[in-house]
Amino acid sequence: MLFANTNTMKQLYYDVKKCLGCRSCEIACAVAHSLAGELFSALREEKLSLPRKKVLPAGGKNYPLSCRHCQDAKCVEACMSGCLVYNKEKGIVEHDEPRCVGCWMCVMVCPFGAIRPNLIAKIPIRCDKCKDKDEPACLKACPTGAIIWQEEREK
Amino acid sequence: MTKQFIIIGNSAAGIAAAETIRQRDKESKIIMISDEDCPAYCRCMLSYYLAGEVKEKTLSYRPANFYQGNNVELLLNKKVARVDPKKNRVICEDKTQLGYDALLIATGARPKFPEVKGVKRTGVFGFRTIKDAQAISAQLPVTKTACILGGGLIGLKAAYALKKRNIEVKVIIKSPQVLSQMLDGQAAELVRKKLEEHGIEVLLGQDVLEIIGEGDVKAVKLDSGKAIGCTMVIVGKGVSPNIELIKDSEVRFNQGILADRFLKTNAGNIYAAGDACESFDLVSGEPGINALWPVAVEQGKIAGANMSGADLTYDGSLGMNSLEFFGLPVVSLAVYKVKQGDSACEELKIINPRENKYKKLILKNNRLLGAVLVGEIKNSGVYLRLIREKIDLSGFKDKLLEENFGYPVIKDALIERDTTYV
Repeated sequence: MLFANTNTMKQLYYDVKKCLGCRSCEIACAVAHSLAGELFSALREEKLSLPRKKVLPAGGKNYPLSCRHCQDAKCVEACMSGCLVYNKEKGIVEHDEPRCVGCWMCVMVCPFGAIRPNLIAKIPIRCDKCKDKDEPACLKACPTGAIIWQEEREK
Repeated sequence: MTKQFIIIGNSAAGIAAAETIRQRDKESKIIMISDEDCPAYCRCMLSYYLAGEVKEKTLSYRPANFYQGNNVELLLNKKVARVDPKKNRVICEDKTQLGYDALLIATGARPKFPEVKGVKRTGVFGFRTIKDAQAISAQLPVTKTACILGGGLIGLKAAYALKKRNIEVKVIIKSPQVLSQMLDGQAAELVRKKLEEHGIEVLLGQDVLEIIGEGDVKAVKLDSGKAIGCTMVIVGKGVSPNIELIKDSEVRFNQGILADRFLKTNAGNIYAAGDACESFDLVSGEPGINALWPVAVEQGKIAGANMSGADLTYDGSLGMNSLEFFGLPVVSLAVYKVKQGDSACEELKIINPRENKYKKLILKNNRLLGAVLVGEIKNSGVYLRLIREKIDLSGFKDKLLEENFGYPVIKDALIERDTTYV
């Protein structure tokens, strides 16, 4: 089973030795995906923007977790509304949010648990690699350089 | 050499197969045959459409130029009467015949109607096709009360949709709980309460004896002796596979068309996928059908690849589903109830009725067999992976239901090496 991209698109990698679990990346992510794009206004938004990545502990280390944008994505296969599509050129799984009905099929099948349900907005949330910006917001926010943004590594 | 591929059925499995064949073979001819009158749409979305939450054009899950773009010939309003494996051809009800080099039967299933008096009356509907949804919708302006027969996913989705359209809804369920094919009693109770809170009446442990009326539906009579006045009845009592087309041929069938590990039938170049295909059920370890959208897509892809020369194997499918009613999300994966007397099984549970949360994991010999998640469904995919890959849980069993549980906890127990973390 091949989960990661095989093209030359940039991917997020994480240097677990450097991750302190400070969750700066989570905050930067939530702010970047808020309407205001700025922390204090974002906190007052009616539908609170949630982080699309999570830092989870395991075995005494911290692991930032986000969508891998799998080429042969289980979520795309399971999506019944057709709102999830793998975009080959961009190397990302795109989510057409207005089409999405919040059936949670994608949450049910993601082998990484990287898609989380926003139960209030009735929409699954996942990393979109900050596709409209030069680089993901989490990258700049990480104080220790634990987040790496580079071309696909050899498997 | 160019070939002719025929796909009978134009839904999840058929579309996935057509796409896969076309990716692998740009030249050959692909013909899709549908007995409906419109391009592919998603059946699972029909309840949202009936509820008025989704427009008709959003039901199609492929762009309008899908068939043209993939050079697929789509034959609508055409029903295949039978398949002749010896002559490699299909014979349609309109007497036309089409030859094939490889054939996919992805004819899906249709609602089962109970054998009770009055089931043919006007106002009794199945809920499977866009036509069904439109016919139900057309009837709503003159409908005050509707009875839903069956407390499975289709029945409850229909109930939800009608409630959203301000119809008085009563769901009549033979078993003592809702969703008896995917939830245990405790989880089902949370769902039932949620439905009742939103004005859907649920009658458990009662069956329909008769649909009363003169031409039109007037009431349903229950085995409790009670009669409920209603002018609409929607039947959600399971489906049966559409396999009539092969019943007089050598193609083997049980409940559905029997397919091997390559999703090939016993006859010629005939493959099966989707709700009409009986492949392998990973829970029972026996042939079985899990009539689910993701399963149909996966099977369609594999069958399509094999039809065009690949030899991909299909392990089988798991029963699973996700749903949400009035803000309460529910996921069920594989085994949802411990078999009585199976003392080797162990249950891990978190129950919080006040917050409408319920999580149950079923384990056996340090492997996860199944899960039921209500109210909080994060990490369902991780549980699914533990089930599918039969991962040994001994290193992290106590962490499975912790707040911080997630993929990182299981990552080292997996076979696949993860290069994301350095």
